[in-house]
Amino acid sequence: MFDGDGGARTTPLIEVRRVTKEYKTGTKVSALSGLSLEFHSGEFTAIAGPSGSGKSTLLNLIGTLDAPTHGEILHQGRKVTGLSAEELADFRLRHLGFIFQAYNLIPVLSAVENTEYPMVLQGVPAPERRARAMEALRSVGLEALAHRRPDALSGGQQQRVAVARSMVHRPMVVLADEPTANLDSKTAAALLDLMHGLNTEHGLTFIFSSHDPAVLSRATRVVHIRDGRLVDPSEAHAAPDGVA
Amino acid sequence: MIRLAWRNVWRNFRRSLITIASMACGLAALMFGQSMIKSVQYQLIEKATGSITGHIQIQHRMIKEYKFPDRYIDDPDPVEEVLKRQPGIKAFGRRIHMTGLISSPKTSMGALISAVQPDREKNITAMSTYIVKGTFLGKDPKAIVMGDRMVTKLDLRLGEKVVVMAQAEDGSMGAEAFRLSGVFHTGSETFDGQIVYLPVKAMQELLVVGNKVNHFVIALNNIEDTDAVAQQLKEKLAGKPLQVLRWKDVDHEIVGVQRFQNALLDIVLTVVFAIVALGVLNTLLMSLFERVREFGVLMAIGARPSWVMKLVLIESLLLGAVGTVFGLIAGSLLIGYYGHHGLRLPLGEALSYFIPFPDVIYMRYVWEKHLFAAGAVLVTSFLAAITPSLRACRLRPAEALRHV
Repeated sequence: MFDGDGGARTTPLIEVRRVTKEYKTGTKVSALSGLSLEFHSGEFTAIAGPSGSGKSTLLNLIGTLDAPTHGEILHQGRKVTGLSAEELADFRLRHLGFIFQAYNLIPVLSAVENTEYPMVLQGVPAPERRARAMEALRSVGLEALAHRRPDALSGGQQQRVAVARSMVHRPMVVLADEPTANLDSKTAAALLDLMHGLNTEHGLTFIFSSHDPAVLSRATRVVHIRDGRLVDPSEAHAAPDGVA
Repeated sequence: MIRLAWRNVWRNFRRSLITIASMACGLAALMFGQSMIKSVQYQLIEKATGSITGHIQIQHRMIKEYKFPDRYIDDPDPVEEVLKRQPGIKAFGRRIHMTGLISSPKTSMGALISAVQPDREKNITAMSTYIVKGTFLGKDPKAIVMGDRMVTKLDLRLGEKVVVMAQAEDGSMGAEAFRLSGVFHTGSETFDGQIVYLPVKAMQELLVVGNKVNHFVIALNNIEDTDAVAQQLKEKLAGKPLQVLRWKDVDHEIVGVQRFQNALLDIVLTVVFAIVALGVLNTLLMSLFERVREFGVLMAIGARPSWVMKLVLIESLLLGAVGTVFGLIAGSLLIGYYGHHGLRLPLGEALSYFIPFPDVIYMRYVWEKHLFAAGAVLVTSFLAAITPSLRACRLRPAEALRHV
């Protein structure tokens, strides 16, 4: 296994065991090939790699949004591969938070309604969830815009709402697929500051993907993948289409 | 979930509005059709029973052709006593119906003779209200009234003598002179050109049948009580050589018309439901296709597939509910308008050949039918959402999130 710091830890938060993911689009395409990896609680980990390297696929598999063709994934020692669609939804609801490249807020809901939606699904009473959603928006600096709908927010503001939504239900890990890809460098830096702050102050675990060196430089651990396999950082640097 | 579903309904305002409008128009058209057919049926029954048939008739048991009873009730007095004590009856009268020959000083023609009890007939049928010249039958024992068409054919004037000839029970011909006391105009060719009214007492004398009549006609306070009162009369008259006939037994052709109209209504109903279902299906499929990525997001943040399915079904139900409410309002207003102002229908001209039937139909609410239609529109919108909702819940989150 090649990763950013590779230090020995106790029970991993997430364990990826010999995972392979193949897509059939006429011909068989292998997105991940026998990849094994561990993530630990409190990490601020970046998955680095060029486009098509398998970053999003890996995040989707960790996030139980997709199932591996072979291999297994464990969250806190519990195997999640093989669970039903309903069980996986429940699992994501309780334990995972997501931030997407395209923000993916629900357009008909306001910022605070988007933020509180995971708690709506959890059945949290309305007053409590509203208070928690406002608190989450306050922590991302958007309390004043809580009642605006996504189309009345800038890209950076929408992504901040997405961050608030990803953490409001107190997940064990937040998975972010290229969260800064659609943002300008200043806004991207501010978002990373925010995510890093949540990581250091609240101990929230982040796993995010990127191929932007400026973003990767903020991570406390960087996992490099290429062609669906883990690669040594030095190999990644040497690769013609790799990242710095 | 309902809040989200409600907002999703209005996400594409124009498309939802078109779907809701198509549902509302469909339901309103359906209600209008139901009301029109039921109003025509109601007026048909009302005119048929109110012009000649009555709600219930009592005839001799051996009679097969109910409109032309050819046997007499030999002892009508016990029947009269039963009818006097029967609740629910507004009025009843003794009658003799038979065909005969009507002669004026200039010419003769065949006619249906309706011999009635003048004082009672006014409470049984509306014939006295159609008088346009002179008066209806009254105290004059030798008065006769007839329609304006017949008066023209016979070239008669009020007060002139008319001879009525009819066949007595023993086969001999009886004849009696009457004086034209009134002329009616119903608009019906049959009534105005073929029927004469005269006192039953005079007819009994002409036919030499004593106090025999060939049927009793009964008008009820409420037509809805017909079956119940008829059943009670059957029980009370059991053992007598009589039969109790409801209006639908005598005017069975009206029941046939009703069946035809109801079948027509069912076809229209099916077509409207198909249109509603296709409209909702189209809207939901379009909406689903546009929101695949969003469903992926909802599933990613923890929405169960069954929850997504419920969301789509609720959206459809809300769409259906709004369409149903607007349809009920539009349909009610339409029926209310034509209930007040009346709807001119060429049907009146066709039917008025047989019975006095107006050109104008006054629409009536048929709430049990309207609510059934509204419920059916709602159920249709729900059923139309099953396929899209199943497709939504079968989406795989990762694939849905990749959807552009």
